[in-house]
Amino acid sequence: MTRPYVPWLLVVVALALAAVYLFPLYWMYVTSFKSGSEIFANPPTFWPREIDLSIYPNVWTRRTMHVFLWNSTLIAAGVTAITVIFGTGCAYVLARYRNVWLDIGLFSVLMLQVLPASVMVTPLFVAFNQFGLLNYPRTAVVLAAAAKAMPFFVVLVRATFMTVPRELEEAALVDGNSRVGAFFSIVLPLARNGILVCAILTFMSSFGEYIYSKSIIQAPALQPASVGLSGFLGPNSTDWNAIMAYSAIYVTPILAVFVLLQRRIVSGLTSGALK
Amino acid sequence: MGVIMETGPAVGGLMRRFLASLRDGVGFDILLVGAAMVFLIAMAGLPLIYNVLMSFQQVDMFTLGSLIRPWAGFQNYIDVVREPAFWLVAKNTFIFVFFSMGGQFVIGFALALFFAQNFPGASTIRGLFLVSWVMPGLVVGAIWSWILAGDFGVLNTILKGLGIIQSNVFWKSDPAFSIWAVVIANIWLGLAFNMLLLSVGLAAIPRDLYEAAELDGANALQRFWTITLPMMRSTIGAVLSLGLIGTLQQFDLFPAITEGGPANTSTVAQYWSWQMSFQLYDFAKGATISVMMLVLVLIASIIYVRSTRHEVRG
Amino acid sequence: MKLNAYGLLAAVSLGAMSLATPAFAQVTLKIWSIDGVDRVGIADTFSKEFDEANEDIVVEYRAIPFDDLVNETLRAFATGNAPDIVSFDNPDFALFSSRGAMLDITDRVANSSVIKAENYFQGPLNSVSWDGKLFGIPKYTDTIGVFYNKDLFAEAGITEPPKTWAQLTEYAEKLTDPANNVYGATFSARAGEEGTFQFLPIIQMSGGGYDNVATDGAAEVLDLWKKMVDNGWASKDVLSLGQWDSTGTFNSGNAAMAISGPWEVDRMVEDAKFDWGVALLPTITDGGERSSALGGFDWGIMSTTKHPDEAFRALEYFASQDNRIFEEFGSIPARSDIELPVTGVEKKDAALKVFLEQLQYAQPRGPHPEWQKISKAIYDAMQQALTGQMSSKDALAQAQTTINGILGK
Repeated sequence: MTRPYVPWLLVVVALALAAVYLFPLYWMYVTSFKSGSEIFANPPTFWPREIDLSIYPNVWTRRTMHVFLWNSTLIAAGVTAITVIFGTGCAYVLARYRNVWLDIGLFSVLMLQVLPASVMVTPLFVAFNQFGLLNYPRTAVVLAAAAKAMPFFVVLVRATFMTVPRELEEAALVDGNSRVGAFFSIVLPLARNGILVCAILTFMSSFGEYIYSKSIIQAPALQPASVGLSGFLGPNSTDWNAIMAYSAIYVTPILAVFVLLQRRIVSGLTSGALK
Repeated sequence: MGVIMETGPAVGGLMRRFLASLRDGVGFDILLVGAAMVFLIAMAGLPLIYNVLMSFQQVDMFTLGSLIRPWAGFQNYIDVVREPAFWLVAKNTFIFVFFSMGGQFVIGFALALFFAQNFPGASTIRGLFLVSWVMPGLVVGAIWSWILAGDFGVLNTILKGLGIIQSNVFWKSDPAFSIWAVVIANIWLGLAFNMLLLSVGLAAIPRDLYEAAELDGANALQRFWTITLPMMRSTIGAVLSLGLIGTLQQFDLFPAITEGGPANTSTVAQYWSWQMSFQLYDFAKGATISVMMLVLVLIASIIYVRSTRHEVRG
Repeated sequence: MKLNAYGLLAAVSLGAMSLATPAFAQVTLKIWSIDGVDRVGIADTFSKEFDEANEDIVVEYRAIPFDDLVNETLRAFATGNAPDIVSFDNPDFALFSSRGAMLDITDRVANSSVIKAENYFQGPLNSVSWDGKLFGIPKYTDTIGVFYNKDLFAEAGITEPPKTWAQLTEYAEKLTDPANNVYGATFSARAGEEGTFQFLPIIQMSGGGYDNVATDGAAEVLDLWKKMVDNGWASKDVLSLGQWDSTGTFNSGNAAMAISGPWEVDRMVEDAKFDWGVALLPTITDGGERSSALGGFDWGIMSTTKHPDEAFRALEYFASQDNRIFEEFGSIPARSDIELPVTGVEKKDAALKVFLEQLQYAQPRGPHPEWQKISKAIYDAMQQALTGQMSSKDALAQAQTTINGILGK
């Protein structure tokens, strides 16, 4: 008798969990609507006394946010492109074989990622300066950030390649395909979903790239939105509701894209290539 | 090709063989791995060497741009260990890493298992849990800093409303809680990553294994121990090692929430390293601390690489 | 033939250039400061004006967030990309001037008709001096005092703002009202420069200084602070709140007194729904020695500049506009020869008067090239005492040991 109710009970539990989890996000939006002093009110108000939406257009124009967001998009796209180009092949090889050398390879991919960006930025700055790359600051940031994003991508995509049966590739080789041919016509299409999803995840996380951008990109017109956000944190004043409004403008588009794509993201990763 | 012919048949043959191998042999593999490796070494390996080098040198603002500096031997390491805060920071780092990862992993796993159940809207709602993935650390830090505030923070209001606490907990300012304030925020931040990867691992386990076990009379817990965990060994290895690296790199939350205070009770190694370099301008010590952290990641990488040994290829 | 033609062309164009020098030989000055990141400020406005007023100079202005300014400059200096002019927070200045990274402008100032060293307050001037030489000029200054909520004071039957720290503590107890979420006092004892900014004046009042922190008076006041925090007369969150956020709780009526500076005034005029005033920072004993924090930024020319003359002209222009910075940007000029205009906003004018008086007692942090390490020792000790990990005396003694190590004593 209780059987049909179980799924609905699960739905309720799931929604409750989601509500708890999403609370910080809700708090960001609510805080952005509050006035400067209501933010400090004790006890805090769960719903703003009066909703002041004017902060949004204010912040948008005062901070030239369309420029910042465009730069964030460019940088994230560049990082994703480089990561996919270098990372996919690397992951494929690391999934295909099993020997000491590739163990070392996989090991170094992880090891090379260990230093926090904050301590890597000084040597990179020095090197970029030597090679004149500081004159192309966004490119420089893309290169540096791609190296940070790569290990994660390689590990995930390697798992995707593991789900492609080797027999299929071997059959293609028997049929007279070259390795290159088999890779492009058999293996890649089968792993396409996984790669695509990992690329989207890479894009989303590099959309928030901050530490490299703030040091390498000096001209405000070329900076991404994360650097623009840090401009609110002054020595003696912190404009909290503007920060929250800025954050909301910053994350809302990417959240929207994400919510639209999330079914594909999850199913792309969870279904594997052939299941 | 014309150019190759001119240089003589022997070289031409070699070149052809090389090209053929690129297209159809080991050369292809080497090219794929090599390109990525060269890129990573240039962009991540050289900075690593720079930092290791710097930890053995005397550094000041005038020599930041050069590699050759007065040699300091192990003096920087000795100085760092002698800092009054050293053991406190070591303890905090351990707490931060262990409980952040533990929390992310356990809650992430629980959510992944929960959403692997078949109920309406399961995948849609699960998608919502990936939100923290797309949130920049800077923004997350600012939000949690507000939620965790002692007087006007909403977490205290909620906990008081539920009767869990009687008076306000000063998450950010009480030495007994400050590190936990950052741990809580970091668990939230890392949840998406853990749940996503673990969901992927769960989905890859063939259904029929469970059905067979069920026929054999195994209960849910037994099925979890005998099927789920062993089948997910490589996923868990990846999650834990990437999680450790991610946790050790987590930086944005600290300046936003506690600034390492009060009295260093929430300072962890990566924040300390940053503080040495970029607030106290002691670049050598900052590099030294970051090199010390390398050892930890070394362990994580070994765990990960070992865990891949047990992988089953689809 | 070809070569000759090019040679001729080059000679002609060179000649043309030398004839038209004023129009073509432009000098580029790079100016860095924190202003203009979020809203219009002193440095970006004046840089632009200077650029427009001088045909022969192009100013490339860069706004850098507060937290990154010193690091960006260090990195740029080490790689040969340093700006010509930079504006630092005053305790950071010695890091550069003591190492020869700033240009010695002692002689230029002596010969200048615009910049006169004697017009500047002593404290700010000390921060740009090193080894008897002048490496910059103060840009503006500020300090801290006690804001108090007159309505709450009247309710509690207190007529005058506190004169000593003991009195402040006593009032804080009276003013605390947990039922209405009101703390008696708020301040910033944060793990950062702001924490030192608020606590160092107390060390100075007790006869100490950054090189002598373990004084009895300082330990005594620190015990009073701890008493306020322990008894709930001040929020425990003073340990993590910055001055701006701490004063925010005062503005919302959740604290009856707040220690902060003139940068709060404009927001307070707008946000505070009660009557308020400002008083001088209390002393340790009634009528005892006064001190207060010295804030504000300095201008300096970096020693790597290729255009020291033009850079100095820019500084002269900035100094010549000092009389505008209060009205337009709300900053107090660090000069005794400038009369501040009356704004007509009663509370603001009253507050400003107190802060101007307070400035006479303001003492600089340092100057010392390793100021940041000294500062950390001070705020660490303050936090250790306030959280009860150590007694005030022991914490300050430990800080003294650390500081002695830094000073090489």
